[in-house]
Amino acid sequence: MTERIIFYILAFIMIVFSLMSVTSTKIIRSAIYLLGVLMATAGLYFLFNLNFLGAIQLTVYAGGIMVLIVIAILLTHHVGFGLPVPDKKHMILGWLAAMIGITISFFQFTTHTFKPKIGNLDDRVSKMGADMLHYGDGGFVLPFEVISILLLAGIIAAITIAKGGIPHLKKRLKSGQPTTVSSSTKKQ
Amino acid sequence: MGNEAIILFLIAGFVFVFGAVLFSKLISPKWDTPRKWDPYECGVETIGPSWIQFKAHYYLIALLFLIFDVEIVFLIPWAVAFKHIDSALPFIEILIFFVVLGLGLLYALKKDAIDWD
Repeated sequence: MTERIIFYILAFIMIVFSLMSVTSTKIIRSAIYLLGVLMATAGLYFLFNLNFLGAIQLTVYAGGIMVLIVIAILLTHHVGFGLPVPDKKHMILGWLAAMIGITISFFQFTTHTFKPKIGNLDDRVSKMGADMLHYGDGGFVLPFEVISILLLAGIIAAITIAKGGIPHLKKRLKSGQPTTVSSSTKKQ
Repeated sequence: MGNEAIILFLIAGFVFVFGAVLFSKLISPKWDTPRKWDPYECGVETIGPSWIQFKAHYYLIALLFLIFDVEIVFLIPWAVAFKHIDSALPFIEILIFFVVLGLGLLYALKKDAIDWD
């Protein structure tokens, strides 16, 4: 019963914050509302006893990605001003798209039969780590090492793009054409 | 910790945060001057708009932070499991992981990605 109450409180927080995030005309406020949604998601994970996943949700999403989003917003000019309210045509189209999305997901939820999972999910971090380092059957040591390569590729790509090291972008920069990079390489 | 404790925590958190905001709204004196909407900067009047465009460099640093943040996610299970395995293999595995990411850090240093100027 108490779990149900907590679930509904968290769900309510998530719905309210996501609606506010979408409808707010000030972009920085949207980002902060999004932070609320991510935190409530972490709360859901904790409610389901997925402690490690909840901690990851807080550190990576609420901590890391939000910092990235906020800095990306601060890179743009018009942080302080509200965005213009869309005209009637766009509003109707947006509502239509949202309604179609709601209908499709509603039908999916009502027609799909959810099977309850019986028994506890083994989410102990020690088991996770043992599986990750195990090299025999059912072990994940190769993906674990490949992840480091993936992160390395991420670092190199980030630096290459941010430093304007891509030749055809550099050429476009010099000729003064607008590029996505041109605004980000400009200093304040 | 039981679920009742979580509900109590939620309620207490809401009361502390929104109660404080509401209370200060109720008891604070209200008068409005244009000066009041100025951004506070040590009592000195601001020159130009206070919403400035940030250097793009901060974005790069945030990206690097995020990548090493994700690395920590894989480090925690390793550290927990490390105690229970008595062989040298986990150590070698994490060493490879570190060397590859260390190369990334070296690349970032070499390309002056973590410079402040």
